[in-house]
Amino acid sequence: MHRRHFLQLASVTTLGALASGCRAAREYDALTLTHPELLKALGAERVRTIGERYRATTRGESDAESLRQAIDHSRPAASRILGAAGPSVADLVREDFEKGRTVVVDGWVLSRTEARQCALYSITRPA
Amino acid sequence: MHTDARTLENGSVVAGDLCIVGAGAAGIAMALEWIGAERRVLLLEGGGFDYEPRMQELYRGEIAGLPYFPLEAARLHYFGGTTGHWAGFCSTFDALDFEWRDWVPHSGWPIGRADLDPFYPRAHQVLGIGPYEWEAEQWRRRDPALVPFALDPKIAWTKMWQFSAPARLGTLYREQIVGASDVHLFTHANVVEIEANEGATAIEGMRVRTFEGKELRFRAPRYVLACSTIQNARLLLASNARATAGLGNGNDLVGRYFMEHLEMPSGNLVLTRTPAPATRMYAFEFGRTKARGEMALSPEVQRERRILNATVSLEPAPLEGAAQSTFQWGTPEVVERMRTQRVVPDAAATADSMAVRAEPRTFHLMTRQEQAPNPDSRVTLSGDRDALGVPRARLDWRLTELDRRSFRDFYEVLGREMGRAGIGRMQMRDWVMERADAPWPSSLGGGWHHMGTTRMHPDPKRGVVDASCRVHGIGNLWIAGAAVYPTAGCVNPTLTLVALTLRLSDHLKSATA
Repeated sequence: MHRRHFLQLASVTTLGALASGCRAAREYDALTLTHPELLKALGAERVRTIGERYRATTRGESDAESLRQAIDHSRPAASRILGAAGPSVADLVREDFEKGRTVVVDGWVLSRTEARQCALYSITRPA
Repeated sequence: MHTDARTLENGSVVAGDLCIVGAGAAGIAMALEWIGAERRVLLLEGGGFDYEPRMQELYRGEIAGLPYFPLEAARLHYFGGTTGHWAGFCSTFDALDFEWRDWVPHSGWPIGRADLDPFYPRAHQVLGIGPYEWEAEQWRRRDPALVPFALDPKIAWTKMWQFSAPARLGTLYREQIVGASDVHLFTHANVVEIEANEGATAIEGMRVRTFEGKELRFRAPRYVLACSTIQNARLLLASNARATAGLGNGNDLVGRYFMEHLEMPSGNLVLTRTPAPATRMYAFEFGRTKARGEMALSPEVQRERRILNATVSLEPAPLEGAAQSTFQWGTPEVVERMRTQRVVPDAAATADSMAVRAEPRTFHLMTRQEQAPNPDSRVTLSGDRDALGVPRARLDWRLTELDRRSFRDFYEVLGREMGRAGIGRMQMRDWVMERADAPWPSSLGGGWHHMGTTRMHPDPKRGVVDASCRVHGIGNLWIAGAAVYPTAGCVNPTLTLVALTLRLSDHLKSATA
């Protein structure tokens, strides 16, 4: 095998493996998106209430697709555009607090991401 | 020495070197300092050694403006004063509390925290609280269970409190004061007028009246008014024989800038970390806890957000639990129980309550916030008179939008920090989120803390007393107590007012040396 062909094959294999890893990570995130960590602390009813309030008061974020997109858009460009492994939802929540991306919903001071998670939860698990 | 003023002949004149009016925290702290000073100190107390309804009735007043506790229940009128029912909460003012803050109108003391530092440890002794240690880490070294939350100190910190037993000064120091040869305590000696010279530039005596109709006079070269924030103002305003607006009131300042601490249930906290962070540092059991922490915002954040100083305490409670204002639960009957109950709670009951609270994960958040100085929040004289003929006080307590806005900003910032630190999530109550000009909610409450009315400022046009606590324009009258506070800080006033009194005492001693 020519050296050039070997390098091309190796690159394709590596990118394939990376893409596969990213898909797995994002599929995992897709599940966590609708199950905020707050469920453990606040319980389903409060999380649902927060979610409903968020959807009612936040323009353009009232349906599941727009909420997923909003969370996706809050990821770094490398993760969003190139599909590289990005921060987990938990990381996004931490970053939100670090960077002051917080919202007040039903009186709760929340990270923007977890507020969106609550909103998704209220759609996927209605009362 | 002790004399019941009712036993003196009508028209008696008693002379001394220093006359202190009022035997509460300030009056007693000062009198103790003069034991052995080889001066004759007259200590005048309107009440006796125990609660008497007709003495309390003298404190009844009119409430205008915002709702407030009945005045006759908010202060005790007998030897020991309001320490007879206080809860013993002590903490120091922060350095920022003394500074001029461009976002807090009328803020700024003519003295700084460093001026009080030498007196705080002495005040600890008077009030029977622990070591002069006010850092959370100092208390953690004493008790490893006292772990402060890992907050970013640039944002928030754990402010320490210490708790007196609580010390009932009337009980603690009665024997010492009555047994002192150079302090002469007169009980049932209600001052009805501060008598000034013709130009109202010096005090010539205190006119005392008893229920039996006797009139007495107490004279000394120097006088200290220490009868509480509202009563000090009332007495100055009512003493208008030589100055129609009242003594020390040439610039219409006496009675103005009345301040309270806004003590209000303001939110909830739920711990989200597993395992939960230790919260023993923030726990409180009346009569048992020696020290605890409350959360506060850093001076930098207060400057940046242009808000007032505040602390928040954690009270284990379910999130759904209703929270009452101090006005709602602190009825005169409850306050009376504070006076008469055993200080050390029942051991079994305490063990039960601690077991229930062993690992709390949800808390009510109780805020204690300073009130912005406000000239329209004031004490004036009522048209009604008490049984001794003195006009009653009329309290018009008023708040500003800054008081209201500060709550919301406080919770937004602290809530964000609690999330960032991974400790938990905070929820504000509905009223906290309302507009700053919205009416105050039914949960509006105070801490039974009265401050202001004779504020300290070097300029007579901006304050009633100077930096030494001497009344401007009157050469021999000083004021001791929280009445002189230009701003309220966010902690209970007793420790600082005792420290200020000890500072005043040293000043008077050096002046008489």
